[in-house]
Amino acid sequence: MSTEPESGYVTIEQARYRYSAAGPAIVDGVDWQIPRGEVHCLIGRSGCGKTTLLKLAAGLLLPTEGAIRVGGEALVGPSPRAGFVFQSPTLLDWLTALDNVLLPISLKRRPTTTDREAALDLLSRVGLANFAARRPGELSGGQQSRVAVARALIGGPDLLLLDEPFAALDALTREELQDDLLRLCALNGTTALFVTHDINEAVYLADKVAVMAAGRITHARRIELPRPRHRDMRYAPSFAAACRELRDAMDGEPAVGRERPAA
Amino acid sequence: MSARLPSLLLLAALIAGWEAWCQLGGLSPLVLPPPSAVLATLWSEIATGRLWPHLATTAAEMALGLAIGTVVGLGTGILLAEVPALGRLLHPYVLASQLVPKLALGPLFIIWFGFGMTPTVVITALICFFPLMENTLTGLTEIDPARRELFRMLGASRLQTLLRLKLPAALPVIMAGLRVAVVLALVGAVVGEFIGGRIGLGASIIAAQSVMDSSLIFALFVVITALGMLLYEAVRALERRVLHRFSKG
Repeated sequence: MSTEPESGYVTIEQARYRYSAAGPAIVDGVDWQIPRGEVHCLIGRSGCGKTTLLKLAAGLLLPTEGAIRVGGEALVGPSPRAGFVFQSPTLLDWLTALDNVLLPISLKRRPTTTDREAALDLLSRVGLANFAARRPGELSGGQQSRVAVARALIGGPDLLLLDEPFAALDALTREELQDDLLRLCALNGTTALFVTHDINEAVYLADKVAVMAAGRITHARRIELPRPRHRDMRYAPSFAAACRELRDAMDGEPAVGRERPAA
Repeated sequence: MSARLPSLLLLAALIAGWEAWCQLGGLSPLVLPPPSAVLATLWSEIATGRLWPHLATTAAEMALGLAIGTVVGLGTGILLAEVPALGRLLHPYVLASQLVPKLALGPLFIIWFGFGMTPTVVITALICFFPLMENTLTGLTEIDPARRELFRMLGASRLQTLLRLKLPAALPVIMAGLRVAVVLALVGAVVGEFIGGRIGLGASIIAAQSVMDSSLIFALFVVITALGMLLYEAVRALERRVLHRFSKG
């Protein structure tokens, strides 16, 4: 496990979370730091507590013990500096793609022409310049996910939190969206915490990957691939080695009745 | 139109069969008047203008009852959904109030409100209230939790969440409740008139029954059915208009 001293923009200190006082800890004493502008990925099997940890980082849940700080301030509720991308696109079916992107603004004030231009710019950056007037029902799953990413970025958040947002997409669309996301994060120096169960995705996106099991972080690895990332890196030996190490770390979890694969 | 053609042909066949049965079966017109007699009676009711005040009264009672029941049902549904403690407290009572046969309350309403339109409007409103309340409550409490979290994340107020997320998302379910309420409103208005009405289609049926005028009763059935279908189609049109943005694509 990495113990290098880092000045975290996001600091998770001994965070514990229980749904009920007597229940098991879903997140069990996690310490983690994300320096400003870095992309960190959290991988683990279903039910390991990674989504709960992400919701703690968002302020959607408050830790039973410990603290979460964003920019030095302890969270006491949903963080206004954070954008959240959910597992499903969670678009509002009755709004156009453009109005969906503008939702975070329109909940606060009437969107201005500048806001509209910013939203259209974001839509064109995710390849949806011609789809602004469409409703979610008229968009494919990948396009809906792109709108959801654009919506999370509209307020210019310092922190982007993503909960397996591309899990339901086909492999090619997923790779395209990963590139879009990295480009957009790099553009604004956005800090990101990305939850996924896909090791390849984690290695491709992250500066650092944490493996989670049973509510704890069991392994962490810095990814030394250069930025910007591009498609060819997926076939580099160092990429494969990182994937292999993380896979081994996931298999190394104390799991009953689960055999370690030979490959 | 071509989709409705088989339905219309079936209607024509049924009417022809009914006419033939009356003519050839030697059935007393008192028991079952032939369609030709029903149509003649209907025409004379229309032509002499006797029908219009009754039709207007029933339509007004229905519209008023529906409007009051809808507004109160929608409001109660929102209140019970937004304040779960209140919902748990009051829902059994609301349910119990609906299990009381409302028509049995008619005589009581006549004591309270006198004869005329008021008791019928109250009965109609009571009948329309329930599907609206129940559907509003169901629609509002079945909002996708992820979307609710999204609104929390975006710092939306409770009112914003209600107006911008919950109500639009629940609208298809609420509109389905309104469609049920329209049908029930007609039943409420007509049967309410049975009890306390002097004017209205329901009151006319009672009056026709007292003089054993079966063909007038049938003519009134036709008018009531037409009124119901008209209002149902009006609500359907409203529903299509409102839900246009949902169904697109």
